[in-house]
Amino acid sequence: MSLFDARKRDGNARIGNLKLSDEENISTPAVIDTESVFPSLKERGFSNLPPSAGKAEFEKYFTAGEEPTAVHPQNESVEGSVLLFSNWNTVISDARRHAEYMEKLLAVCPPDAARYAPACGLPSNAASLIYLGFDLFDYTAVDLAAVQKKFCTPEGEFDASYMEKGICDCQGCKAGDLKLHNRLALEKEIALARVWIERGQLREFMEMRCRLHAEQVSLLRHVDRRPGFAKNLPVVRSSRFFANSSESMTRAEIAFFEDRVINRFVPGRTDVCVLLPCAARKPYSLSRSHQMFTRVVDGRAHEVIVTSPLGVVPRELELIYPAGHYDVPVTGYWDREESAILVEYLAAYLTKHRYDRVICHLEGGAKEVAKTAAQAVGVELEFTCNDDKPLSQESLRALNNALRESRKRRTDPIRGTLLWQFGELVDTKGWLTKGRYPNQKIYEKKTQIFSIDPETGLLRPTHEGWKYINGYRVWISDGFVPQGDILAPGIADCDPNIREGDEVFVGGEGYQATGKTTMGSDEMKRANRGIAVRVRKTNRK
Amino acid sequence: MTEPRKPLASWKGQDRYFGEVLSSLTGIFLSGGCSWNRCRMCGYKNDRDTCAKDELIDHMKGQILWMQENYAPDEYQLGKIFTSGSVFDQNEVPLEVLDAFGEFFAGKPLIAESRSEYITENALARLLKSLDKGQAHPLTVAIGLETTNDSIREKSIDKGNTFADFIKAAETAHNAGVGVKAYLMMKPLFLTEKEALEDMETSIREVAPYADMISMNLCTIQGRTELEHYWQKGGFRPPYLWSALKVLREADVPVACDPVGGGFKRGPHNCGTCDKEIVAAINEYSLTADKGVLDDVWEIPCACKKEWEYVLANERSWNMPLTQ
Repeated sequence: MSLFDARKRDGNARIGNLKLSDEENISTPAVIDTESVFPSLKERGFSNLPPSAGKAEFEKYFTAGEEPTAVHPQNESVEGSVLLFSNWNTVISDARRHAEYMEKLLAVCPPDAARYAPACGLPSNAASLIYLGFDLFDYTAVDLAAVQKKFCTPEGEFDASYMEKGICDCQGCKAGDLKLHNRLALEKEIALARVWIERGQLREFMEMRCRLHAEQVSLLRHVDRRPGFAKNLPVVRSSRFFANSSESMTRAEIAFFEDRVINRFVPGRTDVCVLLPCAARKPYSLSRSHQMFTRVVDGRAHEVIVTSPLGVVPRELELIYPAGHYDVPVTGYWDREESAILVEYLAAYLTKHRYDRVICHLEGGAKEVAKTAAQAVGVELEFTCNDDKPLSQESLRALNNALRESRKRRTDPIRGTLLWQFGELVDTKGWLTKGRYPNQKIYEKKTQIFSIDPETGLLRPTHEGWKYINGYRVWISDGFVPQGDILAPGIADCDPNIREGDEVFVGGEGYQATGKTTMGSDEMKRANRGIAVRVRKTNRK
Repeated sequence: MTEPRKPLASWKGQDRYFGEVLSSLTGIFLSGGCSWNRCRMCGYKNDRDTCAKDELIDHMKGQILWMQENYAPDEYQLGKIFTSGSVFDQNEVPLEVLDAFGEFFAGKPLIAESRSEYITENALARLLKSLDKGQAHPLTVAIGLETTNDSIREKSIDKGNTFADFIKAAETAHNAGVGVKAYLMMKPLFLTEKEALEDMETSIREVAPYADMISMNLCTIQGRTELEHYWQKGGFRPPYLWSALKVLREADVPVACDPVGGGFKRGPHNCGTCDKEIVAAINEYSLTADKGVLDDVWEIPCACKKEWEYVLANERSWNMPLTQ
């Protein structure tokens, strides 16, 4: 019986370790000769049941077999540490069904099980399959392509004569061995996908790789529309967020960020809000333009940035992923689909957070978005940028004039972040922020209560800081005293809101610790293996 | 007054019958419909005349009348009749109609298709009464055994009867001086190419002692069937013509095969390049039983043979079909 545990996650994709025996381990994602690793695969004659088979046929004819355990879209519960997604090669050309089956199975499969897609892996689809959550592949599809005289590359399958076009100089190509080339090309693509998982940017890689294959683009779109796929996304990342394709707009990370801006965050003041354009530099406040805006506004309004593809970013939250991390191609043209999504976010924001005055210091597409959103929710805008140049003397003067009557008040990123991150409204009066932005520490009198993680924008509470926060608890089982990091099997219960990358407080009999999760709540509760929380500091009672 | 009615299909051709090539007339008649009606690949289950028994008799006699009006008795030497199910099922084909069939083909040998459970002494005697004018092998029952493997027949076809049922029906037929033709099906649902091929080899070997003639059907995808549903979702590929060829070449007894739909995506096919030639060879072999024609096409240097060999070696229950 082998054991699998995920070591690094990127959404549903992961880098994992499949332990076959004490001596033998496979680091996933990987392509392996599955029939020699799992000899039982050879003994499953006459057991075919296509994935489209209905309940009656499933109940009569489905057999899970020994390791790897076969799974079928009709499965309501699954056990095992290596899962065979039987006949998945017949599903992948149908993106809608592919997404539907996968969403269903991800919910019932144990998270600490390797997922094997048989006869699927090609250099042209490996990134998509890994993105979807597969860990193991075989050489069947590439070997078949070799027999069919097809030359496999990440861009697709071509005539064998392409081998002589100087595209590749692998060992196989040098030796004129098509089969070897195809195998190496698959191995290389999987190795590359692994790098992008390590970087936390597999999505960006997938968005690039899918372009030449309609079914992969539609897979991406279907996946974005199904909530089951978003469950395993981290709360934040430290990697850049490249919003370079139209599908970047529909990334679940954006909806997740905005949902908290609208539903968790509460502005510190409701008298005046000023809508500002974004800046290429992140965090915005380090950019020249924002330093000018901030100087003019001078604490006399709540600064809210209107941007694509995020929609709305209150100044207090500008450090948090993906607000502090995204790069977007700027042309000055905002397309309709993009604008419609942004209007929705801004309209929702202005409905939830009612200001007495909303000043619109925007130009171009952002201004149009603001107008449409404001009109939709019956908010009247005051315009201070009438020459389409937010930094012009005239515009800045107009902004200054508009704020003449307004009183000064300090923006409080700590209060805002506590709301966004923990859903906790805390009175921060008397707290002291030390250090150079964004490397800051927060003190109450002389006790440090938080530090800012400049890479993600989240707050890291100290033991004392946790006194201000109610949720985000992880409870370890009685009689279980962790040494170092917290392992999933030791967890009795946890806050269902917890995602990978969240700061948590671990509690148990005679044990307290602060730390950061490496998996989400669902996995914490269901997994029997793997590190769940990286402990920062323990406090034994 | 019975009106002539066009049957579902009819054609003239040639058939091998007890070692002799005869000109034949085939008729497919709309009946009351198959009583079993569950086979996964069968499209005839959609053909049923749902009317009162008297009307059904009239409708079926009308079809026989149409055949009489359209084909002269000297145009063919052998009759072949099929309904949407079983010629000997009285619910589907009333006895009066059975008599009319006998009268129509009287004096000529006749092949009639039926499920094994309807092949009884009485039913056979009834048809022979009007049919048998002393001709050689007056009647042969064609039975869709599909495979001699009961579990494949149950899972892959949902046929609802057993090899033992077939053997019993064959004995009943032989005791009544009636011949037996066994229909076997290559590659029903849920089988890898190799499983299908080996099942056919085994079935031919096992059915030979009980059958006077063996006919191998290569699975095709008929409309509005469960098989079509699976095929549309990528779960099925009809057999390669290479597989059919291999079975025919290596069989110890002559096996007839009409590769219906051969070379089309819904029928048995290879790559599209070599299909026509192989289909023609199989048709010729069915008539002549001359393996020389099969050996010739076996050597066609088509690239898809390598693909077929790869599929035979690597297709598994859990990764199939590897090709479309």
